[in-house]
Amino acid sequence: MPRIAFPLSLIALALSACSDSGAAREEIRVVGSSTVYPFTTAVAESFNNSRPDMRAPVIESTGTGAGINQFCAGIGPQHPDLLNASRRMTIGEFEQCAANGVTEIMEVQVGADGLAIAQAAQAQPLSLTRAHLYRALAANPMGRPNTARTWADVDPALPAIPITVFGPPSTSGTRDSFNELMMEPGCEAAWPAAAELEGDAYDEACVLIRSDGPYVDAGENDNLIVQKLVADPSAIGIFGFSYLEENASRVRGLPIDGTTPTYETVASGAYPGARPLYIYVKKRHIRAVPGLAAFLEDYAAAWGPDGPLVRRGMIAAPAPVRERSAAIIARGMTLSADALR
Amino acid sequence: MSSTLVPEVPVTNGREPAERAPTDWKTHAMQSRIRKRYAAERRFRLLGLGAVALSAAFLVFLLGTMLINGAGGFVRTEIALPLDFPALSLDVEREQLAQRGADLALAGAGLQNAVGVAAVSAFGDEGEDYLADNAWLTVREAIKDDPSILDRRVTIAVPASSRIHLAATDDAEPAIEAAAARLNAAGALTRGFNWSFLTGSDSTDPTSAGIWGALKGSLLTMAVTLALAFPIGVLSAIYLEEYAPKNRWTDLIEVSINNLAAVPSIIFGLLGLAVFLGTFNMPRSAPIVGGLTLALMIMPVIVIAGRNAIKAVPPSIRDAALGVGASRVQVVFHHVLPLALPGILTGTIIGMARALGETAPLLMIGMRAFIGSAPEDLASPATVLPVQIFLWSDQVSSGFVEKTSAAIIVLLVFLLAMNALAIYLRNRFETRW
Repeated sequence: MPRIAFPLSLIALALSACSDSGAAREEIRVVGSSTVYPFTTAVAESFNNSRPDMRAPVIESTGTGAGINQFCAGIGPQHPDLLNASRRMTIGEFEQCAANGVTEIMEVQVGADGLAIAQAAQAQPLSLTRAHLYRALAANPMGRPNTARTWADVDPALPAIPITVFGPPSTSGTRDSFNELMMEPGCEAAWPAAAELEGDAYDEACVLIRSDGPYVDAGENDNLIVQKLVADPSAIGIFGFSYLEENASRVRGLPIDGTTPTYETVASGAYPGARPLYIYVKKRHIRAVPGLAAFLEDYAAAWGPDGPLVRRGMIAAPAPVRERSAAIIARGMTLSADALR
Repeated sequence: MSSTLVPEVPVTNGREPAERAPTDWKTHAMQSRIRKRYAAERRFRLLGLGAVALSAAFLVFLLGTMLINGAGGFVRTEIALPLDFPALSLDVEREQLAQRGADLALAGAGLQNAVGVAAVSAFGDEGEDYLADNAWLTVREAIKDDPSILDRRVTIAVPASSRIHLAATDDAEPAIEAAAARLNAAGALTRGFNWSFLTGSDSTDPTSAGIWGALKGSLLTMAVTLALAFPIGVLSAIYLEEYAPKNRWTDLIEVSINNLAAVPSIIFGLLGLAVFLGTFNMPRSAPIVGGLTLALMIMPVIVIAGRNAIKAVPPSIRDAALGVGASRVQVVFHHVLPLALPGILTGTIIGMARALGETAPLLMIGMRAFIGSAPEDLASPATVLPVQIFLWSDQVSSGFVEKTSAAIIVLLVFLLAMNALAIYLRNRFETRW
């Protein structure tokens, strides 16, 4: 083994010397969230198409946490320029960044991702918590088969109307978001013991949705769910947040945990069904990496309510947030630790 | 010596051994024993045949599904889009189109929107959805080829969106199906071989996604792997077989190499991450790093195959060469290596085929990434075929299903070509004695 490793390391050394990676890098490097990945790749593609003289950006989908580790590892060509994040950076991560010399980070909210729970505008108003949703929709709430037929079975304070929920099929990304944002927290709120469960047992108790009638698989078409809700005022529906905005005259967002879904609550992250999406940029890389400034401008041009990112399923941030994000990019405003506290 | 070859005559105390009675094959017991033997023979033959048939069935199933699913990936649907350029009034100077900045000028003049507007006026409100996201690029290339079309009405065949494409091939939503049928009736749809699949790179839109970027990445990575692993592996094998003394150290090395050949590939990825990226600061996602990592992975395979091939060269050949006065180096390079080469090549190709299909170590060094253009050199970011297949299989858009299968077909063709080369080389160099 040493006999192989020795010449090999010599060759590697020689190669690393000639590949000269210490010099400036020509392409933009992005790491981070798989949720933001499709939007950043879409921007990268249009960046590529309209600027053929630039090198194509390299976007890796590593997940937010692993992405932050790489992003915060340091300043320089071997470290990424941009971080996709489906949540805000924590103060601890910000300090970890600073400890490695990664200061002057720009935080840009590009939009939001999420789902809304809604009912027909003329329906009797309901107000639910995530624990209610969990107890009404899980196949095995608290480990026992679900027998609830009306909302009153779930919580006597709720009206005795039958549980009918139109939602996305299990193959849908909206369903994944629903599981992550509603079912899992609801499960842990209604049944704290669930946090002890692991793997399949946890999924079985917390994420598996009942298939005995009350949950109606309504297909991938969110518009269809809106139509069904209007036809059946006792039902509630789960769909992408943008459809709620588009059909505001016909359906009404249900308050979840006391928060009604509006653009403000979605953008601020107060509404449990939505999460803001961010990109973090190293300001000190903007001058060093060719095209990074233009890439950010392309991003800003794409995130509007009728831009290409919304067509790919992103929720546009409200106008004030977009303006602020655009200003952060234009003026290079950096994030301070106080903003994260 | 001879005692083992020629059995001694049994001691019979001087008498002739008693004559053995001839075997009676007709008795009942003997007949049933013979039947049993034949049955065991038949059973074993059928079992073997069954094993072969089962593996063949799996292979046929795999290739069949790939071909059925993937065939559509090589075809694309195009829509004849009428464009009335004077009416669209693109704000672009003719002089700019002859220069390098033509792409930028056309993008800046709002060509993308103009194509959308043309689609809406030609096919109704939904018209923009019928075109692929990158349809405007086809129009851009057409304008660059012949700027004079900006002064007249032309019809350009642009790629259709993947929903229209899928509606033309199999089941889809009724609305899209109806739209496709309407376009088809109007004669606007044509289908042809999708050359851009073989020449393009990754894209977020299945209609413009191509395999060339990943294929070139694979070629570059394999080139680095071969250039490193083959000479080092063969030299190690020659040294260990022909020169190294037999002692505790060489035993240790032998055990280490055998162990290394069985180490899971992800470990090599971690090694590559720590050594090449961490210590040597080599560029992330680069084919050179991928090649180095995979070279580490397949080197033990080449060493083991090489040693076995060298061991199989009869010692008489060495003795004869040494006997007529050849030096050790001459013995090795004139006699042993040419005879061992077929075996070494087979081992190398097996190792290379394993490296070609490998994803896990490459994930660690950042080759799992969206890269919209083909790599230019060994240090520019790249991805490889199996990683591209993995990335596409993860995509939500249904148009990527057939692209995934099509990419698998490309990978299998690549593998087949490599194996065919191995067999050709082996037959060419094979010597019998």
